[in-house]
Amino acid sequence: MSKVISQDKISDFLNSLMAKYTVVAPMPRHDAPAEFRELKSGDQPIIDGSSPMMPPKDFFLPRYEVLVNVQMGKDGVKLDSPIPEAKPRVLLGAWLPDLQGIQVLDRVFLDKKFTDPYYAARRENTILVAVMPAKLRWSWFCSATDDVEGWKNSVDAIMYDLGDKFYIEPTSDKGNVITEGSFLTDASDADSAAKDAIWDNFKTATKLPMSDERLYEKLAWENPIWGEIAEKCIACGICSYSCPSCSCFDIQDETCGSCVERYRCRDTCQFEEFTLMGHGYNPRDNQLPRVRQRLLHKFKYQHEQFGVVGCTGCGRCVELCPVNVDIRDVLMRTCSVENQETPAES
Amino acid sequence: MSEETKTIESEIEEIKQPKEWQPAILGILCNWCSYAGADLAGSARLHYPESIRIVRVPCSGRVDPMFVLKGFQKGFDAVMVLGCHPGDCHYAKGNYYARRRIAMLQDLLETLGVPRERFHFEWVSASEGNRFAELMTEMTERIKKIGPFDGVTP
Amino acid sequence: MSDIETKIREEAKRALESGDVSLVIGWGAGSVPFKTTPIFIDKPEDAEKLVWNPACVNNLAVYLPKMASDKKIGIVAKPCDIRSIIALIQEKQVKRENLHIIGLGCGGVVDAGDLDNADFHLQDVTGLEWVADGLNVITTSGDHVIECGACLRDMCIICEKREPAIFDAKFGEAVEPQEGEVCALPELPDDRRKFWSEQFSKCIRCYACRQICPNCYCESCFADRIEPKWTAKKATPEESWMFHATRAMHLAGRCIGCGECERVCPVNIPIMQLEIEMAKIAKERYGYEPGDPDEEAPLLGQFKDADHDPGHHGG
Repeated sequence: MSKVISQDKISDFLNSLMAKYTVVAPMPRHDAPAEFRELKSGDQPIIDGSSPMMPPKDFFLPRYEVLVNVQMGKDGVKLDSPIPEAKPRVLLGAWLPDLQGIQVLDRVFLDKKFTDPYYAARRENTILVAVMPAKLRWSWFCSATDDVEGWKNSVDAIMYDLGDKFYIEPTSDKGNVITEGSFLTDASDADSAAKDAIWDNFKTATKLPMSDERLYEKLAWENPIWGEIAEKCIACGICSYSCPSCSCFDIQDETCGSCVERYRCRDTCQFEEFTLMGHGYNPRDNQLPRVRQRLLHKFKYQHEQFGVVGCTGCGRCVELCPVNVDIRDVLMRTCSVENQETPAES
Repeated sequence: MSEETKTIESEIEEIKQPKEWQPAILGILCNWCSYAGADLAGSARLHYPESIRIVRVPCSGRVDPMFVLKGFQKGFDAVMVLGCHPGDCHYAKGNYYARRRIAMLQDLLETLGVPRERFHFEWVSASEGNRFAELMTEMTERIKKIGPFDGVTP
Repeated sequence: MSDIETKIREEAKRALESGDVSLVIGWGAGSVPFKTTPIFIDKPEDAEKLVWNPACVNNLAVYLPKMASDKKIGIVAKPCDIRSIIALIQEKQVKRENLHIIGLGCGGVVDAGDLDNADFHLQDVTGLEWVADGLNVITTSGDHVIECGACLRDMCIICEKREPAIFDAKFGEAVEPQEGEVCALPELPDDRRKFWSEQFSKCIRCYACRQICPNCYCESCFADRIEPKWTAKKATPEESWMFHATRAMHLAGRCIGCGECERVCPVNIPIMQLEIEMAKIAKERYGYEPGDPDEEAPLLGQFKDADHDPGHHGG
C-alpha cells in the first residue's frame, strides 16, 4: 500500500527502521562526497537523491574482504572462512540505477551453479529502497540502456521526493514492511499524480537522442571508437570502481606473521595487470582491447549471458572520468545509423 | 626437523615479547662502515640492547626510502639508517645522494605525522664500534621513553 | 579568450601543414559544455577542433612519453603543463627537439565538479568564459558570475608561475595571481597521523592520481609489483598510506604542482598537501624548483658538497 511521509517525520521513520534493521544510507562527509554508511542513532542521512559518488555495492561486495584465514599455531594449522552474518538490513537512499546495478551483481554472484556465500549472506536479508529525486542528475542516461519500467521489480520500494514529503511505493512484499508506522499517511490522488510525473520525467529525460535499436545488437568488436577512447584513456580504475554493477575482483594471499590471509579486493579490466599472466604474456596488451572489453562486457556479453544490460546509466563514470570519456557519446555514435560499421568476424 | 621460518612480523612479535617493553628498531646499515662498526662492537664484546634488527645494504645510497616507509608500516617503533661519513663512500658518492634523499624523507615523514625522533640518520664508520653501541643504547632509551608507535594510520 | 583560441588553431594548422609536426595534442570540446577532453589532431583541417577555455584542466604532458618517443609532435600547454614537459626532458623521457610547444599565458582553470552550484543546474550550462571579475557560467537561464577564488582549482589559486617557461609559440597573457591559501595540516604529529589516516581510509585505490600524473611514467609501478610486494592491493588505510607515502617520496623534488592528482581523486584526498610541503622544503633548503629549465637533473639526482646534513654527528 502506497504511503506518504512528510520530511519532518523522516527521523521517526528512520528510528523505527533502526529498531528492527541495520540501516545503510548516504551520510555527508565534511571534505569529501557523501558515502553510504551504516547509520548510528542520531545520524542524519541525506536522502534527497544526491546519492554518493561511490555506489552502494560496497555493502555486498566490499572493497576488501577476507575469504580465508589460516593460523599456524602450536596445535597445528587452523582454517577459517569468515562468512558474514545475514543481518536484516535496509539500504535506503540509493538511486534506482544503483540498485538495478545490484541485479547485475546478483547474476554474477548468485549464479545457480555457484553461489558466492559471502555475497549471498550480505544480500539475502537486505531490503532495497530506492530514492527517485525530483531533480535528475545531468549525467543520467538510464532509459537509453534499458526499459526502466522493469527496474521497479529490482527493488523492494521506491521513495519519490515530492519536496516537502516522500511518496513511498512498495514494489515487493519485503518492501511493505517499511510502510508500517503511524507517521505514514495514505497517499492522496495528488501525491500519486506528482510521483507519476517524477517517474515519467525520469523515463523520458534519461533517454539519449539515438535510434531505438538495442545497444547489444549494435556494439561491434571492430569500431574506430575503441581506438579513439584508448588514445586518451589514462587507464585508471575510476570508471569501474565507481560503477554500481562492475563486479571484477582479485584474490590475493598475504602472510602476516604466523598467519595467512586470503582476501578479495577490487580489480578492473582497465589495469594492465588484470590480464597479465604468470609467464609474462598479456592477451590484452594495450588500452584498446581493455576499453573495448569494458563496454562490450556491459552492453553485449552480460546481456547475452544474463539477459540484463550491465550498465544502468547512473552516469558516475561520465562525471568522474579524468579525461572526459563519455560513455553516452559512445552509445550515441554507435547507434546512429550513419556511423554504423559493418561488424567484422572475430 | 622443521625449522621455523622467520618473517619480519614474527621478528617484531618476538622483540615485543619480553616483560619489560622493548622497542623494535629497524637498522639499515651500510656494509662498508656502519655494518663493520656493528661487527666491531660485537667482537669487542660491547653491550648494547637487543632491540635492533639489522638489514645490511651495500651503501647508504642503496637505501630506498620505501625500506624506511615499509618498516614503519609494518610496525617498527623506530627506523635507523647508518652510512659512511661524507667523503668516505666506498663508491665515492653514494652517501651524498643518500644525504639529500634521507633529508627529504625526514620531512615527508614529518608531514605524514611520524615523529622525528623515531627516524634516525647518522654517519658511523667501521672504526666506530663504540659509537655504534652507544647509539643503540641511546636510541633504545629514547624510544622507550616515548613508548610504542601506534602505527602509521592510528 | 576566443582570439587566443583562433591563434592556437592557426599555429596547429600551420605546424601540421608545413610537416613540422605529425600530431598536435590539445583540448577539444568536451561531451558537455563545462568540460573539455584531450584530442589528438593529425590533419590540418581538424585544427578547428582545438579549444581554449576555463575548462582546459588536463595536463596533456601525460601523453608525451608514449607519443613523442619517435616523432615530432605539437602540444598545447599551460605554464604548469610546460613545467611537466621540462621535468620530462630533464629525466630523458622526451626530447626537446621532438616537441613543438604552443605555450599559453594562464590565469588558472576550473574543475567542473566544483561548479555544482545551487544557483544553476549543470545541465543548463552552455558555456564558460573568463570575465573581468571572475568566471562567467553561461546557462539557459542567464549568466552567473563566480569569483575566481571560489571556482579555480586550489593549485591554480596558489600558482605563481603563470608564464610559459619554454615554448615555440606563445599566446595569451598571464593573469596576476590572487591572494589565497590551501588548507593547512594539523601541527602535532599525532594529529597529523590521524588526519592522514582518515584521508587514506577514503582511498579506493583506483590509481587515477598516478595515471593522470605526467611525472608518474614508470612502466611498472611499485604498487603493481608482486615481487617484492611493497603495498598490498587491498584498500585499507595502512596499505593506502604506503602507496601515497611512497608516491609522494618518488615525486619529491619532481612534482611541478599542476594538481591533476587532486582534481581527479573521486574521494577528495588532499594529495597535493604532501607535495606542497616537499616543494617548499626543496626550495628553502636546496634552492631547487621542479620544472626549472635551468636545472639539468631532478633534485634527488644531484648533490652538492655543502648540502644540508641530516646525519647527527656523534663521537
